[in-house]
Amino acid sequence: MNAPLHSGLEHWLSAPDDTPAPDWLLEQRRAARVRVSAQPLPHSKEEAWRYTSLKGLLEQDFSAIDEPLDALQAEDLDAVLIAGLDAHRVVLVNGRFAPELSTLDALPAGVRIGGLRDWLDRDPESLRGQLDTARGESGAFFALLNTAGLDDGLVLWLERGTLLERPVELIHLSVELDEPRVAHPRHLVYLEAGAQATLIERYVSLGASLYCTNAVVEVLLGRDAVLKHERLQMESRNAFHLTSLYLVQDANSRYVGVNIGLGARWARTDLNTRFRGEQAECLLHGLYLAGDGQLLDYHLDVEHAVPNCRSEEQFKGLLTGAGRAVFDGRVLVAKHAQKSDAAMSNRNLMLSEQAEIDTKPQLEIYADDVKCSHGTTVGQIEPEMLFYLRSRGIDAARAQRMLCLGFAAEILDQLGAEAVREQVAEAVAQRLG
Amino acid sequence: MTGASAVEDIVKSEYAHGFTTEIESDTLPPGLDEQVVRAISQRKGEPEFMTAQRLKAYRHWLTLREPEWAAVNYPKIDFQAISYYSAPKRPEDAPKSLDEIDPVLLETYNKLGIPIEEQKALAGIAVDAVFDSVSVATTFRSTLAEAGVIFCSISEALRDYPDLVKPYLGSVVPYTDNFYACLNAAVFSDGTFVYVPKGVRCPMELSTYFRINARNTGQFERTLIVAEAGSYVSYLEGCTAPQRDENQLHAAVVELIAMDDAEIKYSTVQNWYPGDERGVGGIYNFVTKRGDCRGARSKISWTQVETGSAITWKYPSCILRGDEAVGEFYSVAVTKGRQQADTGTKMIHLGKNTRSTIVSKGISAGEGQQTYRGLVRIGRRAEGARNHTQCDSLLIGDRCSANTVPYIEVKNPSAKMEHEATTSKISDDQLFYCRSRGLTEEDAVSMIVNGFCKEVFNELPMEFAVEAQKLLSISLEGAVG
Repeated sequence: MNAPLHSGLEHWLSAPDDTPAPDWLLEQRRAARVRVSAQPLPHSKEEAWRYTSLKGLLEQDFSAIDEPLDALQAEDLDAVLIAGLDAHRVVLVNGRFAPELSTLDALPAGVRIGGLRDWLDRDPESLRGQLDTARGESGAFFALLNTAGLDDGLVLWLERGTLLERPVELIHLSVELDEPRVAHPRHLVYLEAGAQATLIERYVSLGASLYCTNAVVEVLLGRDAVLKHERLQMESRNAFHLTSLYLVQDANSRYVGVNIGLGARWARTDLNTRFRGEQAECLLHGLYLAGDGQLLDYHLDVEHAVPNCRSEEQFKGLLTGAGRAVFDGRVLVAKHAQKSDAAMSNRNLMLSEQAEIDTKPQLEIYADDVKCSHGTTVGQIEPEMLFYLRSRGIDAARAQRMLCLGFAAEILDQLGAEAVREQVAEAVAQRLG
Repeated sequence: MTGASAVEDIVKSEYAHGFTTEIESDTLPPGLDEQVVRAISQRKGEPEFMTAQRLKAYRHWLTLREPEWAAVNYPKIDFQAISYYSAPKRPEDAPKSLDEIDPVLLETYNKLGIPIEEQKALAGIAVDAVFDSVSVATTFRSTLAEAGVIFCSISEALRDYPDLVKPYLGSVVPYTDNFYACLNAAVFSDGTFVYVPKGVRCPMELSTYFRINARNTGQFERTLIVAEAGSYVSYLEGCTAPQRDENQLHAAVVELIAMDDAEIKYSTVQNWYPGDERGVGGIYNFVTKRGDCRGARSKISWTQVETGSAITWKYPSCILRGDEAVGEFYSVAVTKGRQQADTGTKMIHLGKNTRSTIVSKGISAGEGQQTYRGLVRIGRRAEGARNHTQCDSLLIGDRCSANTVPYIEVKNPSAKMEHEATTSKISDDQLFYCRSRGLTEEDAVSMIVNGFCKEVFNELPMEFAVEAQKLLSISLEGAVG
């Protein structure tokens, strides 16, 4: 009945009837499973996986979580909370919505937040035509796997014209389990016309456990909607992390994304954005810090499908130890998408002998009246700058840290809440030693 | 004056150099098997090792599949429908001076505006004119011989200096390199061999004009340039082809080797027949060009102006093996009508303090499709490597496309590399500025486009720069103005 999965991924999916789901969704999951089984595993001959090997991931023999977990206590959460952050909080523990840890009281009218599983149980029809649509026909391997294993996640739905002032904090907490587990969280963020919200999506863990997160986030922005989306990947240094974002923007909407990558042993992030209406704007910022034994891999696929849209992609990287990073950004301007404006930049600071960076910013342009550019740099801290600080009595390590934080500040400053900004800056400083 | 009518104008502009010379050719029947490979080798009177090497390449080629990763579309090539050898008749009594050259040939050159006689006196350029596959005219051999420079066809070199050629041929582009390079290694027809001895500065610019003529004949040129320690050579390659209906395959291989402190400058102006307005009949240009900076402080510089061919697939590369070696790539590529070009460069930094510069200017008009595909790789031991890359694309008309696909791989932290790319059209402000000063729209566009390409033209030898500018103006005639 079930199509067999690739070797190394055999246990990635639990039986499909574990999740309460309407028939249309079961059908979607089944189709995804058939499709993913029929596809070869991503390999280095494929452009999108040229620099990233799946070897380490496949060796782990992760298995899907099928049993409900013992409930965590509220105190367990303390270790991962950001002091001073005032937000509506949604907590997922190993991919499962934990209502007892979430604080969803005092939601303004027009705002609906909940666990996907509950939602499918209560009101499945409302998600029909929304859930799993932003992905389009994409055959991306792990996003398909996520659909096949779709189980739980967050639904954030703002009705027309709703302004949500406090941010929504989404915490993915992974706790130590008896064996290496994989979770497939799926989030749906739907802002109807004119709605505005801030979403802070955090990936954290208790302890240094080995696990895998394979998340998919779908974001649908209606006309004039505004979403600030901050994504902080601070997984355990033993973890494997895969996320795919699918963003679809209607006319005059605005998306501001900040992607911070500090954690995980092996992390792959795919950001796919598409304009569906004119005059929309999409800003993608990113900061990654790869240290010893880490691989952080970013793929951007920005599609200007309609005229008069603007996008800006700005990613910065710090590489220490034997850290490796990959940046593969692609901006596509379709035929007739005149007056498109796209600027992509990727800057990297190499701080050690063994670090390695592979970067590939691409432009693919089929319209003539456009303004597109990309820039990439790979370099080191200028000795003159270090000298300047040293001559003012600052020791070498501190001077380097200051300069790196200065380099990172451009991205860190995009984080809206001061508490978040401070916490991330501190984590970066700590990693720089 | 509008974009739409302008685009139609260029699409309609006929290929100015389209004519075929009637000349008897000694041609092998179409098809490829071991017999054909042996026959080519035999006809050229090659030494035994070469025949063996060709056969080895041919057998390997049978195991390869045509590459599909480039952003170009074309009907599948039937490699059995191509004739792999075509030489102008009378190969026995090769001409010793221009008087002996077939007058029909001379006339062809004159139509193309390549006056061999004048050039002798005028530019001081030695011309090794390749008409189809065998060299029929070589000049200034004696001057070069005095300096110790060997400049001859590769077949001659294989016959006369086999020991000199053997260690180098295939050492930069091995037959296993890629599909087309492998095919070339099996069936290469002719090409040029240049050897510049130690410490010699080649007394003149070397130049070869290629011309594809016989129908249904693939051209498989093989060029090998060796610059010994402390030497310098500048080599120019230019070509144009007559109008014809069948697609012509051209799969050349160029290998450059620069020893300690040597410098090779390789310039190309390529203007092969691009096909008619429906894209029928143009040349397929699948070329492998690679330079090996083997010695310390060696330098290899590629400059290319690509305006012709239906399909161009070409990545002149530099392997910067020696410490402080320098690699350069300057390119202007124009695609119009239905032309497709997937071109760029590779800079492989292996030695310490190696430096490379890439300047690529792409102009896409009509339904032209263009991709810049480049690789900059900084190896683990390439301490202090430096790269600067700039790729700019200019779009004319709304049916063309321009892609930029740079790969940057850095494994050494002391590397410094910068990459910039822009894509835009000729801005209305620029046009307005020129128009308000009394320039016609056509002159304004020509001026802006020439300015856009200036950095590359500046790298060309003077005679070529003039020709290239003229070519660019002709190529874009009526594009906007």
